[in-house]
Amino acid sequence: MSQTITIEPVTRIEGHARITLELDESGKVEDAKFHLTQFRGFEKFCEGRPYREMPALTARTCGICPVSHLMASSKACDALLCVRIPEVAESLRRLMNLAQLTQSHALSFFHLSSPDLLLGWDCDPAERNVFGVMFRHPQLAREGIRLRQIGQTIIEMLGGKKVHPTWMVPGGVSEPLTEDKRTKMVDLVDEGLDIAKRTYEFYKDEVVGKFKDEAKHFGNFPTMFLSLVSPRGHLEHYDGCLRVKDANGHIVEDMVPCEDYLKIIGEAVEPYSYMKFPYYRPRGYPNGIYRVGPLARLNNCDSCGTPFADVALAEFRTLQEAKPVSSSFHYHYARLVEIIFALESMTRILDDPAILGKRVRARARSNTEEGIGVAEAPRGTLIHHYRIDEDGLMTWMNLVIATGHNNLAMNRGIKQVAQKYVKSKKLQEGMLNRVEALIRCYDPCLSCASHAFGQMPLQIELRDAGGKVIDRVSRG
Amino acid sequence: MVVIGFGSPIRGDDAFGPLVADRLADLIGGPQVEVLSRHILTAELAETVRDASLVVFIDAATTGEVGQVVQHRLAARREREVVIVHAVDPPGLLAWTEALYGRTPAALLLSTRGVSFDFAHCQLSADVQSAVEPTVQLAQTLVRDHLADSQRR
Repeated sequence: MSQTITIEPVTRIEGHARITLELDESGKVEDAKFHLTQFRGFEKFCEGRPYREMPALTARTCGICPVSHLMASSKACDALLCVRIPEVAESLRRLMNLAQLTQSHALSFFHLSSPDLLLGWDCDPAERNVFGVMFRHPQLAREGIRLRQIGQTIIEMLGGKKVHPTWMVPGGVSEPLTEDKRTKMVDLVDEGLDIAKRTYEFYKDEVVGKFKDEAKHFGNFPTMFLSLVSPRGHLEHYDGCLRVKDANGHIVEDMVPCEDYLKIIGEAVEPYSYMKFPYYRPRGYPNGIYRVGPLARLNNCDSCGTPFADVALAEFRTLQEAKPVSSSFHYHYARLVEIIFALESMTRILDDPAILGKRVRARARSNTEEGIGVAEAPRGTLIHHYRIDEDGLMTWMNLVIATGHNNLAMNRGIKQVAQKYVKSKKLQEGMLNRVEALIRCYDPCLSCASHAFGQMPLQIELRDAGGKVIDRVSRG
Repeated sequence: MVVIGFGSPIRGDDAFGPLVADRLADLIGGPQVEVLSRHILTAELAETVRDASLVVFIDAATTGEVGQVVQHRLAARREREVVIVHAVDPPGLLAWTEALYGRTPAALLLSTRGVSFDFAHCQLSADVQSAVEPTVQLAQTLVRDHLADSQRR
C-alpha cells in the first residue's frame, strides 16, 4: 500500500510551500516534491506600468534581498535607456551588492543554519535555535549579529535605508558617496573582514569535519552549475557573462552574453508548484538540471581575485578531488568564502579615490523596446527581462529568480535526504529537521521556513492510500 | 538613549512610528539620544540598544482606544524558543539583547491604535494623525526627564 507524507506548511511568512514524500509499499521513499503554492503575479501586474517604476516595484518581491532586485531591474532599465552608466555608479552599485551579499549570507549562516551546525541535528528542539547558539557560542553569535549589521549599515549609508532603498535608479545611482561615509565604511569593512576570517577558520577547523555523513546525502549528486563570471573568469556578482560547467568540471558554455540567456535557459512548469523549473536548454527538461548560488559560483570561477578569498577557495576545492564540489551541504562553506570575498572587494573599491567621483548617473529616455538585466543575488543568478511600448509602458516581463534555478535540485535533494533518513512508518524529529536543513542549504528566498528557525509550524502527516493518518509529527 | 519608531511606510497607519521618529530626530536627536526610523525591527538592533539606559519604541497598535496615546513598560520575552530571525517585536529584541550581551535596557512602548493598514504611503488616518503631536511631546518629556535623572545620578 503506497503512502504519502505531507509537510505543510514549510514556511511561515510566505507560508505557501509544502513537501510531499511518496512511500512505496515497503515504506521506502519513492519520490519527493517541493511545492510552492503561493502565487505572486509580479510579471503580470507590472504590465502597463512605466518601466522607471520597475526597480522600486520589483524590489517589493522580497523584503530580504530587495537590493538584488534593484540591481537586476536597474540594469534592465539601463539597457532600455541604451546607456553605459558612469564607472563610479557601477562601483557604487557593486558596493551595495557586496554589502547585500555580506548581510544575507551572515543571516543564513549565523542565524538560520548555525543551530543545526553547532548544536547538532538531534539536539532538543527547544534548544536548537539561535538562543541556544547564543548560550553555547556567545562570541560567535555576537559576531554574527555584528557582521549582518555591518552589511545592513553600508546599504543604509548608500541607499538611505536598510530595506527597500531607492538610491539605485535607471542610469546609475541618485547620489555620490561622500568622504565622511567612505571613511566610516572602510572601518566597518575592516571589522567585518576580521569577523569573517575568524568564522571561516572556525568552520573549516571545527565544524565541517563533523558532517561528513550529511555532506554525502544532502543534495549530493551530479548537476551542472550556472553563474556569472568576469571576462577574466573571476568570481563575479554584478556584471560579466554567463558560464555553465558540468558535473565533471568541463565548461560547456562560456562568456555567454546575459542578453542571450534564453539560448541556454529554458523554463518548465509543473502542475504541483507555482515555482518555475529552469533547466539548461541544450540538455532538455529535466536532464538539464543545474544549480546556482554560492556553490555554483565557486565551482565555476577560475579564481576569486582577492587574496584571502583565493586561499579559502583553494581549501574549498579540496572538499572534492578533481571535480566541482557536488554536495549542497557545502553551500554553507561557499557562503563563508563569499563573505570574505565581498569584504575584500569592498575594501578594494573604497580604497580607490575615484569612488568619490560626482558623476553617477547617465540620463536618457528609453531608446529601445527590450532590456535584460542580470546580477548575482546571494542565492544565485537573478534575471530581469522587460519589454516596453513606445510610451515606456511595460508590455511584458520575465523574472528568473535565483531560488527558482535551484528548484529541480531542491526537489532531488529532498528525495535524497528522505531516502537516507526516513526509514520507517514512524516519523522522527531528526528526520523532520534534516529535511528542513536540506532546504536551508539553498537558503531559498521563497520561504520563511528558512527564516523562522525553531518556530516553523511544520507538520508532517503519514497517510495510507485511503487518506487515513497513520502518524503525525508537528511543532510550532 | 535610543528612540525607535517602526512600521511600514506604505501600510497606512503603520507609518505612525517612523513618522513620529522622523519628527523626533529633528527635535532631540544628538550625541545623547539616537533616534531611528525603521521599517521593521531586526535582531541587529540588539547591538545598537545594548548599552542604552532607556529604549523608547514607537509603534501603531491594533488594540486600545482610537486617538489615545498609551505608554507601556516592556520586558524581554521569556519564551526563547520562539524566534523569527529577520523581524522581531520589542520584547523579542530585548530578549536578543539579553541573550547576546547579558543585559536588558529599560524599555517603553508608546503606541496609538491604527485605524487603517491598507496601502497608503506615509498617509495616516485623521485619528492617528491627531496622535502624532501628543506622542512627540510625550517622547520629548520622557527623554528630557530621563536625561535629567541620569545627570542627577
